[in-house]
Amino acid sequence: MIRMLSMLLCLSLFFMLLAGCWSRRELDELGISVGIGIDKAGKGYKVTTQVVSPGEIAAAKPSGNRAPVTVYEATGETVIEAIRKITTMSSRPIYLAHLRVLVIGEALAREGIHKPLDHFSRDHEVRTDYFVIVAKGTTASNVLKILTPIEKIPANNLYLSLDTSQKEWAPAATVTLDELISDIVSDGKNPALSAVKVVDKQIGQTQKNIEIIKPPGHLRFSGIAVFRDDKLIGFLNEKESKGYNYVTDNVKNTVGSMACPNGEKIAVEIMKSKTKVKAKMSNGNPRIEIKVSMEDNIGEVECQIDITKRETIAELEKIAERRVHDNIMNTVKKVQRDLKVDIFGFGEAMRMENPAAWNQLKQNWNERFSDLDVFVTADVKIRRIGTVANSFHKEGEE
Amino acid sequence: MAGGEKISIRQFTVLAMFYTIGTTILVIPSTLASDAKQNAWIASIAGLLASMAIVALYIAIGRLYPNTTLAGMLEAAFGKWLGKLATLAFIFFSFVGGSAVLYYMGNFMTTQIMPETPIGAFIVLFGGLVVIGVRLGLEVLARTAEILFPWFLMLFIVSALFLLPEIDLANVKPIVGIGLKPIAKASLAYTGTATLPLVLFLMFFPAALNRKQGAGKALLVGNVIGGLFIVIVTYLSISVLGADFSSRNLYPSYALAKKINIGNFIQRVEILMAGMWFLSIFFKAAFYAYGFAAGLARLCGCKDYRPLALPCGMILIAYSLVVYPNVVYMMDFDSTVYIPYAISTGLLLPLLLLAAGLIRKKPGGRTNE
Repeated sequence: MIRMLSMLLCLSLFFMLLAGCWSRRELDELGISVGIGIDKAGKGYKVTTQVVSPGEIAAAKPSGNRAPVTVYEATGETVIEAIRKITTMSSRPIYLAHLRVLVIGEALAREGIHKPLDHFSRDHEVRTDYFVIVAKGTTASNVLKILTPIEKIPANNLYLSLDTSQKEWAPAATVTLDELISDIVSDGKNPALSAVKVVDKQIGQTQKNIEIIKPPGHLRFSGIAVFRDDKLIGFLNEKESKGYNYVTDNVKNTVGSMACPNGEKIAVEIMKSKTKVKAKMSNGNPRIEIKVSMEDNIGEVECQIDITKRETIAELEKIAERRVHDNIMNTVKKVQRDLKVDIFGFGEAMRMENPAAWNQLKQNWNERFSDLDVFVTADVKIRRIGTVANSFHKEGEE
Repeated sequence: MAGGEKISIRQFTVLAMFYTIGTTILVIPSTLASDAKQNAWIASIAGLLASMAIVALYIAIGRLYPNTTLAGMLEAAFGKWLGKLATLAFIFFSFVGGSAVLYYMGNFMTTQIMPETPIGAFIVLFGGLVVIGVRLGLEVLARTAEILFPWFLMLFIVSALFLLPEIDLANVKPIVGIGLKPIAKASLAYTGTATLPLVLFLMFFPAALNRKQGAGKALLVGNVIGGLFIVIVTYLSISVLGADFSSRNLYPSYALAKKINIGNFIQRVEILMAGMWFLSIFFKAAFYAYGFAAGLARLCGCKDYRPLALPCGMILIAYSLVVYPNVVYMMDFDSTVYIPYAISTGLLLPLLLLAAGLIRKKPGGRTNE
């Protein structure tokens, strides 16, 4: 009898398990946030979040007349307050584990970003695999309100477009939160983030935007935003951004055009690029040596040149080396002259190679950076010329 | 006193390994990185070497008293009353250690995975498992370790391989540049967490082993293998996350697993890392509880420690809920009070024990054992 009773008691304990998980969160109870934007609002922050509308994204037959995502905005004295306040408008709590982009408004970025970022490194839901970008000349809120074609989820569009342009075009920086934080705390490197621009925000916010074959409202990445510690101080243009990526060894594949010996143009595709930055002390002064080695293919020939000759290829290699060298030098010079912050990580290179010297230098590194001696050597190898040898315009025009 | 329980050399090796990995794997990369920065992995190797010396001490004690448990050794060396007092010190050590480990477990779950769930839910579930383990006895625990080891190994290898593409060697440079002092301090933290608690293994080492030769080697091998796992995790943590992020993070190896992303397909697998940790921490908690129950049984003159498993477990669970008032207290305690405490119990007392034992044995050969 007692055996029976204790068995029954044990079995009844299983009901506790049947009730399920304490902290369960069903998929249809979550507002999956894919993009989040932070702007300044008075003393606090305005948080904008782009939440997926599952009926439009996942359903077999989306209704088509509702936007695929919706945007909520709330202001609060701290970021987490603002995020929680969103529940006064949204039916579901905001779930941040699937975040793709974190957009920071330009005004806030100029004031400093370390305070609002703390929540994202502290919260357990947030991961570190999304990109942090800066809204150039606008607010983060405007960036997240643009509907995009092809990708239904605009935040995903931002993520993928940044990722692809970094891989195929180079003047972009894919920076995740942990990288950003280590750049902010580092003495020897200052952060640089990709900047995004909004074109025609009026139409961009409506469903009409994506009904037009060339949507008038869209987002475009344009160059790199430069920070001093955590404050935005300026932007690099496209060319300089590419130079920045050469120095930081982030070029995977890109295209560059250059002048033929006779003045017309020829374009090469950079297939492989590797940069080594060496920091040395010479006569008590720091000295930076940048060595870029690249492998190129010829992508487009517009001039009359006999590329089947070995001398031509050697000459083109020289021209390409010159161009890369100049591009990097110009970028470094501009940053040294105008922005005066080490975004290239030269200080980090010094710390790695000569820790003793770095301990002396790090106190006023940003001042020293401005008159740092930088030397660039480029080594370009042209490997392939595409599927044809000489261009057809040779015979056609001569 | 071990109740006639016998475990094999291989089982013992795996137990020692799990016990060494214990809580160390999840928290130590952070402690090491905050002291030794990018050289944290060197500090962990230094800690591994220091651990070998400590293990040698335990082995020497084991050689001196091959057939009795820790309490018996203490009484043989220090006499009845002093010996009982020293036993009490070990019982208290396992009591504090056991409840701290349960708290670690609950705190990890409520911080990283399910913040809304009360910490008691995790501690009671996990503590229940520990009670069942101790009640079933040493042999069952040893076989469990033997069965779980391949799974642990598989999870570890898979996650380590998946992390290889994320390694950035710049994060570990420069290899010099941090003085010896931080490395020594960090390796002390490593030894305190990973190796000094191994002193509790003297409760059944080498008395409960089915063969005496090779027993010492098994303890050493288990400790070194466990240490290697920690060295690897520390290296990965520094090279993937960087020294700053590793030291800032409460649970760097969990943050590390979040980094895994193979072709946008294999990702969000950090719970694997947590699963590995559940395995190793189970053995750590179980042997603290074993030390608590078996020590108490011996002190009170009970024949068997197993009936004490449930009451001891209940005390541990209750105490683990109040052992640390908050996380900051825990971190502060671990970095200041815990290490000297572990040294006094895990190093000084055994040294005294060895010295007293050697002196007693010298004149008359075998004494009262």
